[in-house]
Amino acid sequence: MNKESFIDCERKRLNKILAFRLPHSWLYIGGIIAGVSIILMFVRAFALDGDTQGLRHVLQKTLLVGLLLMSIAKDKQEDEMLVQLRAQSYMMAFIVGVVYALVMPYVDFGVSSVVHQGGEVLKDLGDFQVLLFMLMIQLLFYHNLKRFR
Amino acid sequence: MENTIKVQRAIHNFTQEELAQRIGVSRQTINSIEANRYVPSTVLALKLSEVFGIPVNAFFSLTANDR
Repeated sequence: MNKESFIDCERKRLNKILAFRLPHSWLYIGGIIAGVSIILMFVRAFALDGDTQGLRHVLQKTLLVGLLLMSIAKDKQEDEMLVQLRAQSYMMAFIVGVVYALVMPYVDFGVSSVVHQGGEVLKDLGDFQVLLFMLMIQLLFYHNLKRFR
Repeated sequence: MENTIKVQRAIHNFTQEELAQRIGVSRQTINSIEANRYVPSTVLALKLSEVFGIPVNAFFSLTANDR
């Protein structure tokens, strides 16, 4: 394989990955998974006793998977404008997510210092919180951009 | 960029939905193009040209902001 055909092959593979989308039905499947995860989170928090940390972690992961499926599912009639809107929403989610991860620990620290009167430590955000926020921002922006197109 | 797609659509007696179906996009995309909120790709512009039977620059033109 010469250099040009190797680059061509890599480019084709990359384009194939970039164009990957799940069928539209996955939007509903993702929604159901996310919805059930949220309901079970409430059940775990208010109705279950004992050590349920393992279940909490599983539900956090399934919520993220559900939202990710919703995020990468195709629209009913996916055209080039929707592809552009989707790209814009991912860009916004990335920027807002990074700002959130940078700013939120200080906001948390400030609020808890005021409420608990000292002795607080500055804590970083967990991966679940950042990923959940980014996925929610992406879905929110995408559906808003779609509504106002 | 501005366009006269609405005029061309009226000449050919197409609704937004019919035009959208002919070029394989959604009705909202046609609406956004007509309102100059979205600039279509070259492929889409050429599809429109094919449907209207006129060159692309007969219904798309640059504005002062584009120069």
